[in-house]
Amino acid sequence: MIVSLTWVLGGALILVLLTVFLWSARNKQKKPIPRHVPMVSREEFAEELAIPVTFPPQPAAKPEMPVIPWNYGKDRITLMVRDPNWIFAYWEISATKQEEFRSTFGQDAWNNSRSVLRVYDITGVESFNGANANDFTDISIDDFVDSWHIDMERPNTTFCVDLGRLFPDGTFITLLRSNIVQTPSIAVSNLLDEEWMWIEGIYRTLTRLHMGSSPMITEEIGKGMGLIPLGMSSPGLGNRNN
Amino acid sequence: MGKGYLCFVLHAHLPFVRHPEHEHFLEERWLYEAITETYVPLIDAFDELVEENISFRLTISLSPPLLTMLTDELLQERYLKHLDKLIELAEKETVRTRDTAFYHTALMYRNRLYRIRYLFVEKYHRNIVNAFKKLQDYGRLEVITCAGTHGFLPLLINQPEAVRAQIGVAVDLYASHFGHKPPGIWLPECAYTYSVDNILKEFDIKYFFTDTHGVLFASHRPKYGIYAPIFCPTGVAVFGRDIESSKQVWSSNEGYPGDYDYREYYRDIGHDLSYDYIEPYIHPDGIRVNTGIKYFRVTGKDCEKQPYCRENALRKAETHASNFLFNREHQIAHLNSLMDREPIIIAPYDAELFGHWWFEGPDWLKQVLRKVHYDFPSIETATPQDYLKKYPCNQVATPCPSTWGNNGYNEVWLCRENDWVYRHLHIMADKMTELVDINPYASGVKQRAIKQAARELLLAQSSDWAFIMYTGTMVEYAIRRTKEHVQNYLQLYDQIKSNNIDEGMLGYLEYKNNIFPDININYYKKMPEACYATS
Repeated sequence: MIVSLTWVLGGALILVLLTVFLWSARNKQKKPIPRHVPMVSREEFAEELAIPVTFPPQPAAKPEMPVIPWNYGKDRITLMVRDPNWIFAYWEISATKQEEFRSTFGQDAWNNSRSVLRVYDITGVESFNGANANDFTDISIDDFVDSWHIDMERPNTTFCVDLGRLFPDGTFITLLRSNIVQTPSIAVSNLLDEEWMWIEGIYRTLTRLHMGSSPMITEEIGKGMGLIPLGMSSPGLGNRNN
Repeated sequence: MGKGYLCFVLHAHLPFVRHPEHEHFLEERWLYEAITETYVPLIDAFDELVEENISFRLTISLSPPLLTMLTDELLQERYLKHLDKLIELAEKETVRTRDTAFYHTALMYRNRLYRIRYLFVEKYHRNIVNAFKKLQDYGRLEVITCAGTHGFLPLLINQPEAVRAQIGVAVDLYASHFGHKPPGIWLPECAYTYSVDNILKEFDIKYFFTDTHGVLFASHRPKYGIYAPIFCPTGVAVFGRDIESSKQVWSSNEGYPGDYDYREYYRDIGHDLSYDYIEPYIHPDGIRVNTGIKYFRVTGKDCEKQPYCRENALRKAETHASNFLFNREHQIAHLNSLMDREPIIIAPYDAELFGHWWFEGPDWLKQVLRKVHYDFPSIETATPQDYLKKYPCNQVATPCPSTWGNNGYNEVWLCRENDWVYRHLHIMADKMTELVDINPYASGVKQRAIKQAARELLLAQSSDWAFIMYTGTMVEYAIRRTKEHVQNYLQLYDQIKSNNIDEGMLGYLEYKNNIFPDININYYKKMPEACYATS
């Protein structure tokens, strides 16, 4: 939602800039064009230089931010693991899919139902068919939303998600079914190998487990003074600025 | 007294920031800074140890974008220009600081830069990958690879073909530089998830690393904790990061780099000196940048910074080297009292920590390696391969999905600031497999276009972009790079599908984004489902 809003705002901004640019170009042609106004898009630039012989360095004026589609006209939902507690899904429903739904369940069916993410816990389930989950959780989703961070707090659990429509009578119609993911563990396994019996003493030395990074340079990164970003990916540097 | 192995792993990586389209591109400076401050000083330190006939073993991963940039003629040329400019500045500084407390430091920088120039130009003929190769041939370094463009594999694994390509192109590039396949891999961000090892196995990669909990929380409780590798069911070995040794270098309170005698990173003359003086040495657009010349020491928290003293700093590095090894010695003695075999301690770090951030880091490392040799008979440096040769029989367990990012899982690379990238990356990977599958005999322009599409996909997949979006600094560049590669890719895809390839555009992209010139697009061929079962 926020993302799409950003897109709209971004688009509007570009339009405004373009209008200002065109207006000033038409009315004050003698005035030099300000450097920061984007002049040509990257693609046009590429075509201009159609013959790949030599490419002289270009002035440092920033080209426009490339515009890419948000949707690809494909029905899909993808589930991803963020950490032992959180999973994330994004999806896309084509107009055709909505039409299909309407023609199957009636023209008003879309408006009479609401969008729901149904998160199935399918840990240990051999082949999931929609009806054999251990349990499921429903999350109401705004029609305009197309991704969701889901707080399940279930480490070491296998999940599948359906995006569907829930009718007032409780009927759930699946529109899209995701891939299957498994959240990671947050503890030492209770499975022991007889021929590799664990050494308790070693585990006693590992009690102060700090996973991932340590916050060495947290406060420093905000200064943004040209620290190579690569260094930042490692422990100690992998902390957020805000 | 029993013995133990110390396994240093340096991960060297920079995103592909080659911008032939501009003479001065701000982000290209990341590479120049890293060459001057990290890569050449590390090589110099290792060479010195070799000359002293000190045996040591150290593992280093050179990411494919870094390998590509270090061997790129344009960037080598530009780096040299950059270095010469820096030397000019350093010369001026020796005049400006005369009769001040900074004079000796100014001289140090000048001499140091001349030495770096000598090593870069005379000794290694602008190609420092040769230096790493030589050190590998001398039996000191074990050079390993990293995923193609540092893609964050756990979030790409839905399309296993995309992961296979990330690994495949990296293995091919490594082989073209080093003459054989890489023995091991540094998984980008130390990020593992189920079935990644299936793909590593396909490329004959013998080992990888995880963060501590990757091994500790494995499917079966590992007998030796993180002090011996485990084998994935595929037979690929996994080494887990040691907590203690990493904390000593990283921790905010106890970490060495914060010592008051060490050089302060954030007082750079690029920011501190008057604009008129520094203007020729910063970005031509007038953007102030780091020059690498810094005169102060850390001094303390919230106090006036004092002048840097090189002698004190080097003495401190030596003290810290002894301290580090003293602690390892105790750790090893303790582990030996518990274990029925010699432990291995895995100490991985970002290479750029050494020199770039922690200025004295290469000196510290050199001292550590020297002291291990002379003063610590119970410690031996080793690489994962050395250890596996000695202990080929290891427990089998599936590692726990994990990373070395904040809190240990994927939250850095999958958060509200960057989650949008995956809806593009995933469909691009699907389309890539489609392109390769429907064009098995593509040749000529079409083949070139498919290859370039693969390059754009790979470049869009760099974990660096998502990481930068997460940290909140330089975000625009990361978003721009992502969108640029997505856009290039989608245009190529449409052109290939409609058999209407714009050769001008293709030529431009080949010239600009020229990573993996010999890319094997067959890695994108559809894989059978069985290869990527979730667990």
